[in-house]
Amino acid sequence: MNASVRIGVRSLLAHRRRLLGTVLSIVLGVAFLTGTMVLGDTLRANFDTLFADADAGTDAVVRSARVLDAPNVPGGVRAPLEESLTAKLRAAPGVSAAEPSVQGAGQLIGADGRPVGGQGPPTLAGNWIDDPKLNPYRLAEGRAPAAPGEAVVNRGAAKAGGLKVGDSTVLRTPDPVRITVVGIATFGADADGMGPSTFTALTLADAQAHLTPRGTGQVSTVRLRSDTLSQRQLVDEIGPLLPDGVEALTGADATAQSTADVSGRFLSLFTTLLLVFAGVALLVATFTIHNTFAIVTAQRTRENALLRALGAGRGQVLGTTLGEALALGVLASALGLLGGFGVAAGLKALFAAIGFTLPTGGTVVHPATILLPLLTGTLVAAASALAPALRAARTAPLAALRDTAVDASAQGRSALVRRTLGALLLVGGLPAVVVGATRGPSLALTVGGALALLAGTVVLGPVAAVLAVRVLGAPLPRLRGVTGALARRNAARNPGRTAATATALMVGVAVVTLFTVFGASVKATLDDTVSRSFAGDLAVTAPATGAGGSGVSPKLAPAVAALPEVRAAVGLGRGLAQVDGHGAQLGVADPLALAQVTDLGRVDGSLADLGTDGLAVSRPEAQAHGWRVGSTVQLRFTDTTAAFTVRALYAGGGVAGDYLISRQAWEPHRVQDADTLVAVALRPGVTVEQGRAAIGQLAAAYGNPQVQTRAEYAESSASGVDMMLSVVYALLALAVLIALLGIANTLTLAVHERTRELGLLRAVGQSRAQLRAMVRWESVLVAAFGTAGGLVLGALLGWALTRASDGAGTGSFALPAGRLAVIALVGLAAGALAGLRPAARAAKLDVLRAVASD
Amino acid sequence: MTAAARVEEAVKEYGAGETRVRALDGVSVEFAAARFTAVMGPSGSGKSTLMHCAAGLDTLSGGRAWLGETELSGLGDRELTLLRRERIGFVFQAFNLLPTLTVRENITLPLDLGGAAPDREWLDALIDVVGLGDRLQHRPSQLSGGQQQRVAVARALAGRPAVVFADEPTGNLDSRSGGEVLGLLRSAVDTMRQSVVMVTHDPAAAAHADTVLFLADGRLVDTMQQPTADRVLDRMKAFDGRRGKAAAR
Repeated sequence: MNASVRIGVRSLLAHRRRLLGTVLSIVLGVAFLTGTMVLGDTLRANFDTLFADADAGTDAVVRSARVLDAPNVPGGVRAPLEESLTAKLRAAPGVSAAEPSVQGAGQLIGADGRPVGGQGPPTLAGNWIDDPKLNPYRLAEGRAPAAPGEAVVNRGAAKAGGLKVGDSTVLRTPDPVRITVVGIATFGADADGMGPSTFTALTLADAQAHLTPRGTGQVSTVRLRSDTLSQRQLVDEIGPLLPDGVEALTGADATAQSTADVSGRFLSLFTTLLLVFAGVALLVATFTIHNTFAIVTAQRTRENALLRALGAGRGQVLGTTLGEALALGVLASALGLLGGFGVAAGLKALFAAIGFTLPTGGTVVHPATILLPLLTGTLVAAASALAPALRAARTAPLAALRDTAVDASAQGRSALVRRTLGALLLVGGLPAVVVGATRGPSLALTVGGALALLAGTVVLGPVAAVLAVRVLGAPLPRLRGVTGALARRNAARNPGRTAATATALMVGVAVVTLFTVFGASVKATLDDTVSRSFAGDLAVTAPATGAGGSGVSPKLAPAVAALPEVRAAVGLGRGLAQVDGHGAQLGVADPLALAQVTDLGRVDGSLADLGTDGLAVSRPEAQAHGWRVGSTVQLRFTDTTAAFTVRALYAGGGVAGDYLISRQAWEPHRVQDADTLVAVALRPGVTVEQGRAAIGQLAAAYGNPQVQTRAEYAESSASGVDMMLSVVYALLALAVLIALLGIANTLTLAVHERTRELGLLRAVGQSRAQLRAMVRWESVLVAAFGTAGGLVLGALLGWALTRASDGAGTGSFALPAGRLAVIALVGLAAGALAGLRPAARAAKLDVLRAVASD
Repeated sequence: MTAAARVEEAVKEYGAGETRVRALDGVSVEFAAARFTAVMGPSGSGKSTLMHCAAGLDTLSGGRAWLGETELSGLGDRELTLLRRERIGFVFQAFNLLPTLTVRENITLPLDLGGAAPDREWLDALIDVVGLGDRLQHRPSQLSGGQQQRVAVARALAGRPAVVFADEPTGNLDSRSGGEVLGLLRSAVDTMRQSVVMVTHDPAAAAHADTVLFLADGRLVDTMQQPTADRVLDRMKAFDGRRGKAAAR
């Protein structure tokens, strides 16, 4: 074996314990990365299987070519087809079966009166398709719907809602439809449903009545199969029969598109988010690993010098240290890879625990999912060890004969360079962040500035460490006497090391703080939006289409308005159109009535005469497009493109959104009509409780949407933020854990290094308890430095992110003092925890041996 | 006979300004080939510095140094490394062995670093001479100090270098173990015609050498052939006396 390699491997084996922390950091980081990628692969494959199963017997799908982008709706929204096309297709040569299919959103209400499913997976309704090959669902119990009001529900939904054959319940489409369950279906042979989605199948006539705009004679798609032709031949055969604006595609293509729509929108966002956190964990791990190698290399100075004296070239010493890191990286990455499968399962469970259901199925792993984490882990290990290895290679042979391990990072010329460079980075970064966040705002400038700030903090770390330990540790000598004083000295004696250790925690805490501040600001903005623009007393809401629901029935608002307790009630619908090539959500409402229950701010022009070709636009949106009152805007709907005139401008950032059109204008273009919100203003003298009771009684007949006070409405608008924050905290816990491993590791190494000194202290009368306390306090001091730095940096970047992402300039900024205090406490407590094991090891020292050790 | 190594007008200074120290102040010496040369002198006399500079571990501030026909002053790190690996053997006072390698691996380390295949017969003979045949798979921590130093001697001799430099090789050993190590060096000179240069402050150790060079205050002050411990001790006492007088003056 090559000498360098052998020496590297031997020292790896000899220093197993010392490198344990390093291995763990890489294992955790790589496991997270692998877990993320495995989860992504698995979900993509699961969705693929799901859609393939749904289209299994279908050879061709005929659908409208007119499609609009819709946020939240994968694949967009399509115009309906004429039902008469079905008969024409059925008669075409080679077509064995052609069935009309109607699909829409339908929220099933369970036996307990609560909605079934929701929060992510879609709640679907449609017609029962009689041809068993074109229908992915199979009847498990009962029969197919034959009469109006009869329905089949999928087994998963039946279980979740406690529904049996013969039960009556309500389907919100969003108009409440009374249905009787006549059958229960499985998806394919024995799955409970198409993933976690719910499906309610009605008769074709019922489905058309409730799910298509015209209520009769329209279908969403026509599904075909052929016993004689291939899918491609079938599509070619029926092509000439299709009218303009209608297209046919093969079953295989339809599946591929459905999968691509879901991966493109939901999955890539989802996995990118997870990858960001895997990146943070790996960044923190880099600091930890770098620190370990730096210390181990410093401790091995004499060994390396001896090697150099005996004729080892610089390259050989470099190779030994790097080889060690590489071997460690490969080993730890391999372990992490295995752990990644556990993490993937854990992540899935985490999302399930917060009520975000993902489809199930076997775990899928692509070759890239194995290669990338292995490579990343190994590279991170090698890159972290590069600087220490270069330092080791520069060891003078004479160092073998001297006792040298002095850290000069806070003194002399290198300190001057360090201070200058660090100061430059801070001086450059801070204005970039501030300017980027406030003028513009420019995300690129902000991010660049943030990176410069981070780099500056890392560079200035050792200088700051001395100062910070002095300040933060000031009370220690008074509190803990000589033990405290020693702990403080120890934390400051190796500023480079203290800084690097603390930096890992600082990055972790900074990211946690960043998200906490950003989340709190988003919540404050939402609160503010509601309190500023929602002038009503009560709000009636239900999850909208695309958010796992079907919205509120448009018939509810007039009914509520008719109540004696109510002064005004306005339903706010959501329309969809393409403006300048981009999908835009339109607020659909009676604009004058809307102005009574919401505050649209200063209005230029008039809301009174929007008519069927008028449009009201928020001021920031109009500014972005260069529109004024009187400008003409082309709106592309699913059916046609129409010219609208801007008749009014209003303040942006409210519940009304950026575009408002009247119900009359939306009527000809609507797809499946639903309101997202009914805003209610009560008559003077009616209490909120009285109003809520009256509306609740009425709403029960409309599928029981939620009736909320203003405060509850604001709270529930922001509840998504809390959900996101808890996910983020769970994901960042790993990075913080790695940082703590780093602190524990550094301390263990320091204890090892100071064996003689600790022995001396014990010899002159320090008790075991005092020794333990000394090491623990050092740990707390390092953690305090990291936490304090992270809080400041995170708060600053949180502010910048809040400002930079707020293009309209209407958002709020909030510093949640309570949460930040909790973060600080957790950081300190974690520091004490990290010091436990090194302290215990130090206390176990045998006094005689320690003093005599070489 | 040509010299195994020599220095001419060697000057070595450390530090700058007020704190400048002149460790070597114009020393010219030759270390004869196939001879055992001891370098003696009180602490601070520059004897270790002389050895470090002659062995290419450190560079001179002035003057020149040769190893055989090779002049060291013009060499870069790469050439010096090769020189140490192939033509010089080292024995230090302490921390001589890599703790993670076995005895055998430590002995062949300089050869392994060069990627050269060791001469098995020569190695076996060497291992026989140092008397560690049954300890080859042990780790250094399992050996006594004397045994460790014998391993270091074997390693220094393994590559058949032009010169072995030994820096206080008996400094950490009791007199019996020290005697064994010195006997090894002596027999290497007598039977293998090895050139050995040893820095020491122990007159008994110096007595094993063929020639003793005396250094004081960075200068060569005396040379003694065929030394005995008593004569060396007397000579050293004379130093102390003179230094005492100098101090009194």
